[in-house]
Amino acid sequence: MNGAAPAVEARALTKRFGELVAVNALDLELPAGRIYGLLGPNGSGKTTLIRCLVGLAKPSSGEARVLGVPMPNRENLAHIGYMTQSDGIYVDLSVWENLRFFAALAGARDKAALTEVLDLVELSSRRNTPAHQLSGGMRRRLSLACALVHRPSVLFLDEPTVGIDPALRVQFWKHFRQLAADGATLVVTSHVMDEADRCDELLLILHGKLLARGSGANIRAQAGTQDMEEAFLRLGGNESEK
Amino acid sequence: MNARRTLAISRRIADLFRRDHRTLALVFVAPIVIMALLGWVIRDQAAPATRLAAVTPAGPAGDIGRQRLQDAATAAGMDFRADITTEDAARQALRDGQIDIALVVSLANDQPRIKVITPGINPPADSGRIGELRQLIATALGQTGPPLEQESIYGAGDGDFFNAFAPALVGFVVFFLVFILTGISFLRERIGGTLERLLATPVRRVEIVLGYSLGFAVFATLQVALVLAFVLGSVHIDAIGPLPAINIGLGVPIAGSPILAFVITLLLALCAVNLGIFLSTFARTEFQILQFIPLVIVPQSLLAGLLWPVESLPGILEPIARVMPMTYGIDGLREVLVKGSGLAEAAVQFDVAVLAGIALLLAVMATLTIRREVA
Repeated sequence: MNGAAPAVEARALTKRFGELVAVNALDLELPAGRIYGLLGPNGSGKTTLIRCLVGLAKPSSGEARVLGVPMPNRENLAHIGYMTQSDGIYVDLSVWENLRFFAALAGARDKAALTEVLDLVELSSRRNTPAHQLSGGMRRRLSLACALVHRPSVLFLDEPTVGIDPALRVQFWKHFRQLAADGATLVVTSHVMDEADRCDELLLILHGKLLARGSGANIRAQAGTQDMEEAFLRLGGNESEK
Repeated sequence: MNARRTLAISRRIADLFRRDHRTLALVFVAPIVIMALLGWVIRDQAAPATRLAAVTPAGPAGDIGRQRLQDAATAAGMDFRADITTEDAARQALRDGQIDIALVVSLANDQPRIKVITPGINPPADSGRIGELRQLIATALGQTGPPLEQESIYGAGDGDFFNAFAPALVGFVVFFLVFILTGISFLRERIGGTLERLLATPVRRVEIVLGYSLGFAVFATLQVALVLAFVLGSVHIDAIGPLPAINIGLGVPIAGSPILAFVITLLLALCAVNLGIFLSTFARTEFQILQFIPLVIVPQSLLAGLLWPVESLPGILEPIARVMPMTYGIDGLREVLVKGSGLAEAAVQFDVAVLAGIALLLAVMATLTIRREVA
């Protein structure tokens, strides 16, 4: 790991799918230990950007680096956690079996970490429940737990709070804050703008480009409105007029 | 009853078919392909000329009969091996694969007895040749002659169709089930998002394929062991009270090593695992995995020697059969279980080597379909 390098870095990162340019010459530099909110409407390129950063998609041009290592890089994945938009858990396996599986693949041998993560997402009492018997919110929690088992230093969370109730959402954000305090870097996508203020910094994405960057207050000031959704529309509107 | 609602449902199904071109193609094309294949195989079998030997009693009468048989056989396009004149020589020739069928005529109390000896490895092929021979005898002798006694070199020789058939069926059943299971499991990985997640860990693609192979090999091991035990074994259970006595297991007699048969079946299962992973790339739904049955399983059941010997397949179908793993699995199982060949036999070595090669090739192909870039 390179201490001086930013946790996440993109240089003129471009990803094309045929005609469609999902990520368009994007530059990004995210110092470690903070929570970044990746905001943008559906189809704006958030997930593709994350997939490039995780190394699941190969950039058409440009470069993606995580912890100073150019992605895709298989070994670097041991330091990266990825919570996919779909739950990505084995519904036939129990909660514990899912955790154990992903821990083994990530190379985490610490049993205590598994118990700890299970406590964190409050699924300890469901340890032996098959995942298909869990409620939607519980599956989301299990999915988060699977992304955390190997104590990654960089976490990409794609829509982590979709489909979970407000109380649990508060709980999730508390965990995220704790992880950041412990030195982890979190990149959280959302199209729920009210989550924006929980992030240290916001990255507004539209048509695969970085539209604006800054704290919630900063962005509101840029757009000249107090309402985050309104701010997004105004900034995006300006963009499309150009 | 509301006709509009009913029609709305029918229409939805029609729309689905219209969108799913592959299913549409399958519904119309698959039956044609299967029927054509069947017609082709059954009608146009280009079986090499039957190689026949006839043994007749010593003496002028026997020689005349033999000459008549030879003339009739040659006229019928058969390959009559005049150099084989004793029953022992005929049996040896059958064992060596020099001839396909032997006719032994003897006299008992001045009544002719006709015995037909076949290899007994491929029962459908044997019965076809016995039919040919019946016609030949009728032509040569001008009458149907005495009833034919049948005997075979390998197998129980009692004409039990199933005995020579069972080894090949074991391979077929195992391949079929393992293919469907892996195909569906891996498809679930692909569409359920777990593969995406798997690939976001430091796992190597080859580790995924090997892990799958090993996991399903364990499963297939149990399956193969159980199926072989059931087919080969037989346990008699005496009548208990009102329950009649029954036999559990089919009690198929075997000549060779069940362990070697097990190894061959396992190799076949490994081919099925990797083929399942490979083909799961080309399916979006579990339904589409089942659609591979007419493409993958049916042709192998028709061409791989289960029913008709591969050598007798017409024209371009034979090379197709030569690349199918089932061809080597079925041949290997017959060699071992029916003929009693061991690993020292070149035919068995060849089958095992080709199966291992195909399994390896399919594993490489399966690995290549698991890309870090999925979407």
